Amino acid sequence: MRKIIIEFIISVAVLLGTWLILSQVDWMTLFRVKQATQSTGEKVGNLCWDLLKKSETEISADSVVSPIDSILTKICDKNQIDRSKIKLHLLVNEEINAFALPNNHLIVYSGLVEACKNEAELDGVICHELAHLEKNHVMNKLVKEVGLSVLLTMSSGNGNSEMIKRALKQLSSSAYDRKMETEADLTAVDYLIKAGIDPEPFANFLYRLSDETQNIPQQIYWISTHPESKKRAEEIIAHALTYKDFKATAIDSTRFAGLKEKLNRKL
Amino acid sequence: MTSLEKFNYVPSEHEAEKASNSYLMSLIAIMGGLPLPIINLIATVAFYLGNRKGTYFVRWHCIQALYSQLFLLPFNSVGFWWTISIIFTSETISSKYIAYIITIFIFNLIEFIGTIYSAITTRKGEHVEWYVIAGLTDLTCTHDAKNNN
Repeated sequence: MRKIIIEFIISVAVLLGTWLILSQVDWMTLFRVKQATQSTGEKVGNLCWDLLKKSETEISADSVVSPIDSILTKICDKNQIDRSKIKLHLLVNEEINAFALPNNHLIVYSGLVEACKNEAELDGVICHELAHLEKNHVMNKLVKEVGLSVLLTMSSGNGNSEMIKRALKQLSSSAYDRKMETEADLTAVDYLIKAGIDPEPFANFLYRLSDETQNIPQQIYWISTHPESKKRAEEIIAHALTYKDFKATAIDSTRFAGLKEKLNRKL
Repeated sequence: MTSLEKFNYVPSEHEAEKASNSYLMSLIAIMGGLPLPIINLIATVAFYLGNRKGTYFVRWHCIQALYSQLFLLPFNSVGFWWTISIIFTSETISSKYIAYIITIFIFNLIEFIGTIYSAITTRKGEHVEWYVIAGLTDLTCTHDAKNNN
């Protein structure tokens, strides 16, 4: 019996030892896993954006895009995120929605900007979507919902428009899983705090719109696709309170009011 | 990993065929059951249950084939669920994961080759013993002198 136990331990040790030795090799670089994933993400993201661009109108007026671009630049700078990799797109659409696409496309609908009472609320939503991008939630969600084989087919150029539409629909009008949403919320709070922005308006935004969802559910995509908004608002406040020495800087309300006015005139 | 040993008696042609089939059963199930690590084990258990009243030689090799599957089952299961978590959750692919998959691939390949070798050798009526597994088989497979042929 003793011999068997010793032989068994040796066998398991050989197996685990092999794993340990093989773990020392940087397989990710050797097999170019990161490059392959990045390349698939880039292609899928661009396909989704091209399809979206055809069906929606992008606002390119500098006077309208510039304030949102400033928000994004400020958040990126304060959180050591490379701003140049984020492709911000402001689209004319009355839906209250913002979402992230692979290859760092960040889509904001004009309806969302108009629904925000102040700049800090918009900051919160942008931080939340930025967190989805930074935490690689976008590709993970697509792999989960659409399937890796479909994504690889799309990225190889053999995908049809139905495949791309399906991927785009998953990203624009359905929520991430609860774990990813919570992670994105809490990361958004971290981003906001580091940028000197009070996270409370972000929580208020979730709270307020979750009440309004009952009346006009079809328009408030960002809330209806992000369930348990009130609970999430409470978690955001609780996480923000862990930053004891935080002092919020005043938000540029005048500039934000100007942006809303310009959007109103354009729509 | 394997060694040829002398058995208590010389098995008949019929016994050698049945004993060899126990290894073949796990091979066929491996090919049909991949990537689910449980399929080949179920097939081997079913074959053992069908032959548990067989002769000592047949039972011994059925049990060895079954234990050889059991040894890798937990490692294959970890690999399987790790892969599932990468596909369906936020878990990401890493060098550790790739190293693990390569490790279990190597060990499964060794087991696969060992199984083919055992099937061929046992078919010739020779007694092949696996490292670790043979000892465990000896412990659990009792020799009934009255029913050994």
